[in-house]
Amino acid sequence: MTLNIAVLVKLEPDFSEGSVSYNPDGTLNRAETKSKLGAHSAIASLAAFYTKVKYGGYISVSSMGPPMAEIALQEAQSICDADELHLYSDRLFASADTLATAEVLQQGIRKMNNGKEMDIVFSGHRASDGETGQTGPQTAWKLGFTFLGNVIDFSVDLNKRFILAKRLVALPGFYDIVEEIQAPLPVFIAIDPLYKPIFDTISLRLTSSRYLKEAKERAANYKTYLKVLDHKKLELDPRFVGLPGSPTIVHKVEKIPKARTTRTAELIEGYDREGIKNTITKILQLVQK
Amino acid sequence: MIMITMNKIENNHSTNNDSYRHLFVIIESINNELIPASLEMLGEARRQMDHFNLKYKSNEKVIAIHLGHGIKDLSKDLISYGADAVIYADDPHLKYPINKIYTKIISQIVTDPHSLKEISPEYVSIFKKPRYMFFLADSIGRHLSSTVLAELDSGLASDINKLVISDLDIKHQHKTKGETIHYQKVLEMYRPDFSGFLWTTILCLDNKNPEIAKEFHPQACSIIPGAFQPCVQDTKRTGIISQFSPQFDEQDLKIKVVKQELVKNPVQFENYKIIVSFGRGIKEDPEANIKLVEKLAKILDAEIGISLPISKKIFHLNEKYDSIYITPNRVVGTSGRKVTPVIYIAVGISGAIQHLDGMKDSDFIIAINPDENSPIKDVCDVFIKGRMEDVIPVIIDELSKRSGQLKEKEIQVNTYGKL
Amino acid sequence: MENCDVTIVGGGSAGLAALKHLSSLGKQAILLEAGKEIGSKNVSGGILYSKKSNNGKIYNVEDIYGESFLTEYPYERKITKYILNATSKDKVFSIDLTESHNYQTNFGYSVLLNKLNSWFAQEAQNAAERLGGGIITGVHVRALKWEEKRSKIIVQTDELEEFETKVVIAADGVNSEIAEMANAREKFSPSELYQGVKVLVKLPEKIIEERFEINNSEEGAAHLFAGDVSLNLIGGGFLYTNRDSLSIGGVYHYDSLLENPIEPAEIVNSMLKNPLISELIKDEVPIKEIDKTLSKEQQVRKSFAITKLLNNWNELRQLYYSHKLKEKSIADRKYSSEDEIKSKLDNLTKRLTDEYNIKFKTNYIELEYTTKLVPDGKRGRMKKPYHKNILFIGDAAGRGLFFGPRIEGLNVGMDDAARASIAVARSLDKNNFDSDYLGEFYTRLVEESPYTVDMKEIDKQYLNVILNSTRKRIPSNVLGLKHKLLFNLVSNDGLRNFFITMINKYGYTRLLSFIESEDVYFKVPIKIADKLGTLNTASYIPQIPTIQDRVAKLCYHEDNISHIKILDSSKNFLRKMVVLCPTKCYSLEGDEVILQHEGCIECGTCSKETEWRHPRGEKGVIFKYG
Ligand SMILES: Cc1cc2nc3c(=O)[nH]c(=O)nc-3n(C[C@H](O)[C@H](O)[C@H](O)COP(=O)(O)OP(=O)(O)OC[C@H]3O[C@@H](n4cnc5c(N)ncnc54)[C@H](O)[C@@H]3O)c2cc1C
Ligand SMILES: Cc1cc2nc3c(=O)[nH]c(=O)nc-3n(C[C@H](O)[C@H](O)[C@H](O)COP(=O)(O)OP(=O)(O)OC[C@H]3O[C@@H](n4cnc5c(N)ncnc54)[C@H](O)[C@@H]3O)c2cc1C
Ligand code: SF4
Repeated sequence: MTLNIAVLVKLEPDFSEGSVSYNPDGTLNRAETKSKLGAHSAIASLAAFYTKVKYGGYISVSSMGPPMAEIALQEAQSICDADELHLYSDRLFASADTLATAEVLQQGIRKMNNGKEMDIVFSGHRASDGETGQTGPQTAWKLGFTFLGNVIDFSVDLNKRFILAKRLVALPGFYDIVEEIQAPLPVFIAIDPLYKPIFDTISLRLTSSRYLKEAKERAANYKTYLKVLDHKKLELDPRFVGLPGSPTIVHKVEKIPKARTTRTAELIEGYDREGIKNTITKILQLVQK
Repeated sequence: MIMITMNKIENNHSTNNDSYRHLFVIIESINNELIPASLEMLGEARRQMDHFNLKYKSNEKVIAIHLGHGIKDLSKDLISYGADAVIYADDPHLKYPINKIYTKIISQIVTDPHSLKEISPEYVSIFKKPRYMFFLADSIGRHLSSTVLAELDSGLASDINKLVISDLDIKHQHKTKGETIHYQKVLEMYRPDFSGFLWTTILCLDNKNPEIAKEFHPQACSIIPGAFQPCVQDTKRTGIISQFSPQFDEQDLKIKVVKQELVKNPVQFENYKIIVSFGRGIKEDPEANIKLVEKLAKILDAEIGISLPISKKIFHLNEKYDSIYITPNRVVGTSGRKVTPVIYIAVGISGAIQHLDGMKDSDFIIAINPDENSPIKDVCDVFIKGRMEDVIPVIIDELSKRSGQLKEKEIQVNTYGKL
Repeated sequence: MENCDVTIVGGGSAGLAALKHLSSLGKQAILLEAGKEIGSKNVSGGILYSKKSNNGKIYNVEDIYGESFLTEYPYERKITKYILNATSKDKVFSIDLTESHNYQTNFGYSVLLNKLNSWFAQEAQNAAERLGGGIITGVHVRALKWEEKRSKIIVQTDELEEFETKVVIAADGVNSEIAEMANAREKFSPSELYQGVKVLVKLPEKIIEERFEINNSEEGAAHLFAGDVSLNLIGGGFLYTNRDSLSIGGVYHYDSLLENPIEPAEIVNSMLKNPLISELIKDEVPIKEIDKTLSKEQQVRKSFAITKLLNNWNELRQLYYSHKLKEKSIADRKYSSEDEIKSKLDNLTKRLTDEYNIKFKTNYIELEYTTKLVPDGKRGRMKKPYHKNILFIGDAAGRGLFFGPRIEGLNVGMDDAARASIAVARSLDKNNFDSDYLGEFYTRLVEESPYTVDMKEIDKQYLNVILNSTRKRIPSNVLGLKHKLLFNLVSNDGLRNFFITMINKYGYTRLLSFIESEDVYFKVPIKIADKLGTLNTASYIPQIPTIQDRVAKLCYHEDNISHIKILDSSKNFLRKMVVLCPTKCYSLEGDEVILQHEGCIECGTCSKETEWRHPRGEKGVIFKYG
């Protein structure tokens, strides 16, 4: 028995210095900024790849986005050796919030691998450009799959159809919890950025390099693996997707007032009590804000 | 078993509907210990609803929802920190926050009018869903908020650090079909964007456009830990505590937590607004100088960081200092932690690029260093040119003169710290 | 337990050649490399030679990898100009030694090891995969255990479950842990080692060709340096042209460094500061300055915007000064013509100057700073390069070939690899791994190598070629009496041959200190430069980065566990490391030397008196060029 594996990925702006561009008002200049497979999506693809090498499986990768998002699928394929690529692209999907996005994705997942039920769906932890990790759990919920977030390690029991996952639950300023949880398949896994696949035998390593080579070859011809689906092909009601299906809207964008703006060091001599007093005033102001 | 609510278009156009009431706050605890940020969230809920009730001459409640096992006794604490009412579900199956199970139970509670029997009996007959809901934006709440809102079929804004309730005139291509419509009691949810420089305000609004008409309730968000202050505890506050008996799906009980391990990092930079770090500049009298830094940090309620070389135990110190301060988890920089406090004070640190990497995004940076040519000067806001031995005592002296200003803060910190 | 026939430890040029050659012989093998990717840990000067000898067969790069090596260009430039420069302050006297470079040479290509080894790896992997073997990276071999009865080796690593193997080929470099684990030899002593240090300087293709007077885009020059640039150390400097960069550095006797500790960075710096070199490396460098009075947010945005434009500018400039890249970009219709590229470039320059206040200054650009020990085969090579069923090749076996200007390790390691592969294949066929059958046979093959002969004896003819070139240019009267006598002695063919025959008979190694002396390495060159050299002046003063800047530019995958342990922090040796560690990982705090391993570039300089291991798999420094 092998696994049916799905991966949800996202095309994201590359925020690194040298790639990103901003408008004069401080918002992202999307036209001038290069896009690529999101870092978290890449980790999700890696987890799928691991699953394929270790347990065997058929991988379907999907993304909702404009036609150019196919480059994210291509990049994901070069990581995970995907057998099938899905792009959900339709003008009606534009500007969807997470709930409306989840609606499209869950319907797409139902159509993967000729309609077979998925055993594991992987998604990234979050996207770098604003999506804060809601899409994954909401898609999982709409599919009725058990959602496991912040997964840093996992193993599958193919016979019992169970997954054992290790999760890192970070509670800032409090504890960090490492939890081991067991759940029947199917599951939806949001993979933690700390996840790292471990191929710890020679044969796993050699298999993984074989698959990886195949992945590069496939990605070079990714179009032959690609299916583009619009709302009709997905059988989605236009009222539940895109803007009409989104409960939330972005109302406004404004600058966050910052305590202090320039960064030319004000030099105070160590013996200058007045200067130190002023600094202390500043400290107290800032802290009490 | 709760079925996944399929999207249904409702033809209800009323603006101010009594079916959606109250602010529900989803409390988190671990091993029967409340997560401090839960109380911050509760504090903000209290302030918002006090304001709300005054403004709209209304009497809507802050209701804390708390799930767990053996957590009943914590309900009183929740009241004392600002809740009007607590609804708790106490069951062995709720010992761990398993997403699927928690989602279903929370959804049961907030959609069951009988939950409100004791809290607001007058609305039981018409209550449908909460007006507002707050979750924590941590590893538990972030996912829980998503799935609960998917179940309730409404909107969610994540990672919020500012909230305003107001009445707004909205003109939107889809929501209002381009017409201006007056929306009341809108929760404006402010989310800092990825750059940290911009705030995006998110609203969850009903579709008033007849073609796609639909109501979206509750208006919900997840809140960044540390964004708000808790209320000062008031043990005399009273409130209603009611128990909810959860209904489980057999199938879901196959999901099991088999092991749980708590790891607590003794150094919690995130909990502090100020970080004081020291480096090799302490060399003239390491022990006395660390004491100075310690004293300064205490007055400022700051956590202490170090530069990497310090962690290599380059000075002979007494064991106490060695074990408290000379540890890798205090290192700030590429080999250590990345910190972004409100104020970062670098004492005797030259500012090597690997150190700067870990602290340059702090809001306000102060350096104490006799060498004006140290690279730290290029990133700091105030450079106090002098030996730490001379400068820090002056700062401490001046600070203690203003202990009044500090006190107020200390109280908050103490109550917070006790939890 | 999993098993495999042959395990190669170390994916440098030697280990990779072994994998390729074994695969060509139809044998299955796996190669374990500690670095995350092949090529990320290897450093060379470097020129890769293909040689021919009257003394016997040499297994050259093209024998191992086939003709595709020549057609796929994993190298930089073909060296066709080979010049020795004697320096004294701003005077330089240059002697064309191209003839000695061509001696017994098929070709010599300048190479950058990351690129070169990556190409080797791809070829070796393809061949090995077909036989069920392959390359496994990010795995650090920690220990070997013997299964005496079955004469098997159990390999333990930090990353994989242990497994069993019949033979190990140790290609783990100069700081071989395998040698230590197996007790196969002592750590190399300072007299058996050189410290090599290098910086890679960026310079556009066509500017290189113009400046080095190369009239062919495929060709390049090598310059060697002796004299005051070597700061009174026994050793010499080099400058090699790559396609669009220059490798500049030096190789110095480790014991002379211990005697007279000088920071490795100072050694390359003295090269960079030499006016001849300063002029060769100079370029137009944009200076980015952000207005500090702007708000923090504006500063970040401005800085990002400038970085983006500068990246474009760099790319376009590189394109403009290139051959193939430019042709391709025009063929691909990215640009219509060279003129369009030029005008776009000019536009960008103008925008940067006018809108962003960028200034262009004459300076040079460093890409990477590296250091590594290299073994001197004359002194340190393993006489029997095996231990039980472990065969040592390349630097791990101490087989670097140094003589006069000759610095060769890459080609020697490949030749070793082929010989080890032949021996292993033979043992696998007969299933006999006894020392007599495997180790001794391999030792014999290695002894037959012309390279081994060159490590044992002075090649009279080679010396002849060098002296002929030199004699033509240097009148003997410029040298003082002592040097004149020596010079006359070696210049007289009959006398010299007699003399060298005696040396080779008496024992070459015993006379090495006489040959590799202060006189030869700097006193005479300085004298020659003073008397005959031409004056050079630099039009600017190169702004040399500090060691902190150089380290900040390197890429690390940090490990919080140190791979080096100090055994005795008060030792004199360690105090010298405070100076000799190329990245200043050691510092003196009071009476004790402490180590900050984060900046370690794994050169091995401090390994002699520390507990020294390579970092765990994937950890440590990552060289982008090598
Ligand atoms: C790969 C790598 C990773 C690294 N990661 C980190 C990291 O994560 N974090 C980190 O901190 N470092 C890191 N480093 C080390 C870093 O490069 C510097 O070596 C280190 O930060 C210097 O520490 P320092 O400022 O305490 O010491 P120094 O550089 O020695 O500076 C001491 C300073 O104290 C000042 N001083 C002297 N006397 C006094 C006095 N009486 N009062 C006040 N000031 C005085 C001096 O003027 C000087 O500026 C890393 C290095 C490498 C290579
Ligand atoms: C400055 C300089 C200039 C030089 N110039 C020239 C020149 O011009 N021409 C020339 O021919 N030669 C030159 N050399 C010498 C040449 O670079 C070396 O001889 C050659 O690179 C050695 O190759 P190798 O494969 O034996 O070892 P390395 O390239 O050192 O490879 C050893 C590999 O083993 C890996 N490894 C080590 N331990 C373990 C372990 N326990 N487990 C797993 N993996 C491990 C390492 O990560 C490394 O990748 C120069 C050297 C230097 C430093
Ligand atoms: S610590 Fe040792 S091995 Fe590392 S760079 Fe310094 S001298 Fe070389």
